[in-house]
Amino acid sequence: MAAMRTTTVLLLLAVFIHDVGGQKALSLDEKVRNLQESLYKKPVMNLNMDRWKTYVRTAPRNYSMIVMFTALSAGVNCPICRPAYDEFHIVANSFRYAYPELKSLYFALVDYEEASNIFQQMNLNTAPVLYHFPAKGGRKKSDQMDFQRHGIDAEAIAKFVQDRTDVQVRVLRPPNYAAPAVVILLAMLVLGLLYMRRNNLEFLYNRTSWGLICLCIVFAFMSGQMWNHIRGPPFVMTNPKTRETTFVHSSSQFQLVSETYLVAVLYAAVTAGVILMNDAVDGKGDPSKRRIMAFVGLGMVVIFFSLLLSVFRSKYQGYPYSFLFH
Amino acid sequence: MAGGEGSEVNKLLNNTAAWTSLLTFVILALAWFVGFASRLFAIIRFESIIHEFDPWFNYRATHHMVENGFYNFLNWFDERAWYPLGRIVGGTVYPGLMVTSGAIHYVLSLLNIPIHIRDVCVFLAPMFSGLTAISTYFLTRELWSPGAGLFAACFIAITPGYTSRSVAGSYDNEGIAIFALQFTYYLWVKSVKTGSIFWATLTALSYFYMVSAWGGYVFIINLIPLHVLVLLIIGRFNYKIYVAYTTFYVLGQVMAMQIPFVGFQPVKTSEHMAAAGVFGLLHAYAFLKYLQSFLSRKEFRYLFFATIIIAVGVGFVGIVVLTYAGYIAPWSGRFYSLWDTGYAKIHIPIIASVSEHQPTTWVSFFFDLHIMAAVFPAGLWYCVKNVNDERVFIILYAVTAVYFAGVMVRLMLTLAPVVCVLSGIAFSYTYERYLYDEGEAKETPTAVEGKRSKKDEDSATDDQDARNRQLYDKPGKAKKPVKGSGGTTSGGAGGRADDEEGIGMNVRSIVSVALVLTLLMFVVHCTYVTSNAYSHPSIVLQSQTNDGSRVIMDDFREAYYWLRRNTHDQARVMSWWDYGYQIAGMGNRTTLVDNNTWNNSHIALVGKAMSSNESAAYEIMRDLDVDYVLAIFGGVIGYSGDDINKFLWMVRIAEGEHPSEIREGNYFTESGEYSVGPGASDIMLNCVMYKLCYYRFGETKVGYQQPAGFDRTRGYVIGKKDVELEHLEEAYTTENWLVRIYKVKEPANRPKIKYTERKIRTKRAKSSYPKKGKAKKGVIKMKPVVVKGKKPVIKR
Repeated sequence: MAAMRTTTVLLLLAVFIHDVGGQKALSLDEKVRNLQESLYKKPVMNLNMDRWKTYVRTAPRNYSMIVMFTALSAGVNCPICRPAYDEFHIVANSFRYAYPELKSLYFALVDYEEASNIFQQMNLNTAPVLYHFPAKGGRKKSDQMDFQRHGIDAEAIAKFVQDRTDVQVRVLRPPNYAAPAVVILLAMLVLGLLYMRRNNLEFLYNRTSWGLICLCIVFAFMSGQMWNHIRGPPFVMTNPKTRETTFVHSSSQFQLVSETYLVAVLYAAVTAGVILMNDAVDGKGDPSKRRIMAFVGLGMVVIFFSLLLSVFRSKYQGYPYSFLFH
Repeated sequence: MAGGEGSEVNKLLNNTAAWTSLLTFVILALAWFVGFASRLFAIIRFESIIHEFDPWFNYRATHHMVENGFYNFLNWFDERAWYPLGRIVGGTVYPGLMVTSGAIHYVLSLLNIPIHIRDVCVFLAPMFSGLTAISTYFLTRELWSPGAGLFAACFIAITPGYTSRSVAGSYDNEGIAIFALQFTYYLWVKSVKTGSIFWATLTALSYFYMVSAWGGYVFIINLIPLHVLVLLIIGRFNYKIYVAYTTFYVLGQVMAMQIPFVGFQPVKTSEHMAAAGVFGLLHAYAFLKYLQSFLSRKEFRYLFFATIIIAVGVGFVGIVVLTYAGYIAPWSGRFYSLWDTGYAKIHIPIIASVSEHQPTTWVSFFFDLHIMAAVFPAGLWYCVKNVNDERVFIILYAVTAVYFAGVMVRLMLTLAPVVCVLSGIAFSYTYERYLYDEGEAKETPTAVEGKRSKKDEDSATDDQDARNRQLYDKPGKAKKPVKGSGGTTSGGAGGRADDEEGIGMNVRSIVSVALVLTLLMFVVHCTYVTSNAYSHPSIVLQSQTNDGSRVIMDDFREAYYWLRRNTHDQARVMSWWDYGYQIAGMGNRTTLVDNNTWNNSHIALVGKAMSSNESAAYEIMRDLDVDYVLAIFGGVIGYSGDDINKFLWMVRIAEGEHPSEIREGNYFTESGEYSVGPGASDIMLNCVMYKLCYYRFGETKVGYQQPAGFDRTRGYVIGKKDVELEHLEEAYTTENWLVRIYKVKEPANRPKIKYTERKIRTKRAKSSYPKKGKAKKGVIKMKPVVVKGKKPVIKR
């Protein structure tokens, strides 16, 4: 409490000095007018030290500010800053679209490159940070958005804004043309190929390629790629203490991307073994060669199935049965 | 004389058709028996009880139907559920299950076999697993060969993917629906092959049964049109398909609309529009085929493309326009979440909260299918290689089912049958090649019969089967080349007889024995999984003591029985929705929400009551007339499926409807973890659910070493030990604290306010309290007078 009071005092002092410094202090109306003008130009205002003091720190304010502190320049190693800024920009844009004349909420940005002293003033040494500066009263702890818990999605930011300011921003994402574009390109490619080869459409009747397509789909889903798609697990896991890398997660409720690939390969090998065995009998030619083929097929079935079982055993604790390998 | 008899016997022995049908019959009977027997683990260990949650509702509904008759069941308004709303049961259930068991009960009582309806319900699913095996046999026989059919029947009888939903006591729709599914597919394949109205009508009838049994009928009504569409695209159209599909579609849809719960959905929802579109397209196509004979080739081509494009375009635009105009309901959320996998998590937390709606890990695929998961792609491969009209169907079935099973654990159930069919095909294909004696092939086929090895019954039949084909295939080819494509394409055995150089007897026997070993492993695996993973009734918990003996914890039934015996008949019990059906079924008391999660806002209200503080919750409870509150608490015995672990979902669902009052973030610790330990937030420690679970828990010790208030499930000491209740009082706690029941107190008397603190001071108030010492003797106004009673005169 005491600390807060001192900061207020300091701030007042700063404002006072500022005024004495000869720059004209803007009145509330002027500030709002300037902010509105900037809002018409672009949804997020870039703050330097001057503007920061004028619009965020100086006392007469009847509007809230949502300020993102971030480091966008290439020199700073901050991989998350860019996507976080993009999401923030989407929210600000949606806000501008929905309430261009609200005059009680503005979005702003402080870039480390432009105004590192603001970072110092705010005691910040991480980025990105999102603060809400309420129109009245001091900042509370909950005026900082927790990226760790809520993520950096525009929806999460909008929810934070709604929590703090009661302004409901419906996030309007600029439609993402990438996916449809890829689909259309692929379709055109396929159609183009078909057109090029229109005199020879035999390959459409080729059962082997259709069979391979079906098998690929089956292996992909049987090995849990859909789970990967929905849950997004890491590829491998590295134990932070021993630096050991594990490819197979030890719980049956969780899986790593690497182990699903392994399982898909094992399934494919067993299936190939079965097919090879049958081809050995069906084929015509040297009996000894076919005999070897049959043994290779059988070996593939038995060995890869045993491997599959042992991977399964390592995940499903207490499963009693194994085959060939432990 | 003796010689004559001998030849008779020989004739009998050599009659292959008779042997085949006998073996087929015996194997199917054994499959039925084994399937039935392996589903009885739970019954043998515990007793003949209904499991889990949904089955309790089904049982209650069946019981109601048997007591009151079918029409009363259809009109049943259940006032004991969803208080104060109630539930129209007849219009909101698939009645197939109840009608089936009711019919069995009726027939048995006609035969003077006294049996309780509960026993019919408990044993219904295992009985139907045998029927499923038989219909799988027929389906696979139509698709490939009788040998593959026997394999498939044996597989489906024991595969864990299907057993998981059909153990004894698991009285749920899926138990009979998989039979209906397989049987419908068999009849459909049959009608595609024959093109007869008879089979198509039977398909529609079977489809009707499926619609009455399970919501998964949507799978059939989309898969069959997809089959027809693909056949059209790959140029396999013929009039058999036309007859089969049009008959099936019209009859099937009309019959489906007879189910009250389905109603007009077949013509009004997007789920059924694909079928309607294919119906239209098929007619356009058939009409063009008809025109073909009148037109020149060039004209026809032009017309063909124009018509198809117009038909598809008009159909599509029509459906879109009708959807926007509101005549056709868009896809329901549950259905939509199958395509857009992130949809449910954002929009429908109640769907995302159910564990069987999660995506499937590869472990559970392997767990449920074992060797079949690795082998069935080979069967799929052979189906693609030797494709014909009906095999297109099984290919489509496999690819779509594997997708759905990947998205949702629960849909593993629809994948299991097709996996059994295809791995049956793969195994039978392999054994046809390996259980084939090169030496004998040169002899006359009839001489082989006696030497059959009977090591393994499956392989024996297949042996038999392979030889059969040898018998009839060679002459068959000359007589009827087209018929029985299953035999000719898959056989190949006939052609091989000319091939003198085989790969040798040793290789053949080694391969056969190795494959039998893997099959044995499959059997062992299935038994293990059925016994250990899928035979827990979940209303009775069991644990093992140090010396290995079993301890059975019967707390749920204890609590529900207490409710039944000790509370008022109209008492209303508030609990989380998971337990609604059980409270209604076993406790026979009114519940607020239950497992039929149709009203999200009502559930959110209960969630809000559970997650707000006591006085706020008390207002909700007064509004909803709650008499008792029930919570499941596993901290004493370490049961992890309790309400504290589910609590976050209650908060989330409540937040979805009341975002201003309930915030998920408030229930986390400073560091953002979910915990009820010392670091827990104040809101968490003061919410009703915490109080219900941990009331007086701080005074107990669960073990010798542990401190007081140690929660075994969470593994730490709870945050606040002195829990005090203001508006609730503890009514009953079961032996292992698993179920705790609290009574909601009546509102307290109005508080007495000191005269000096009153805002409005009336004179009368002052004078009505005389000063001390001057007190006179009081007079009671309207003093009750005892009137002497007379003996009532009873008129007779």
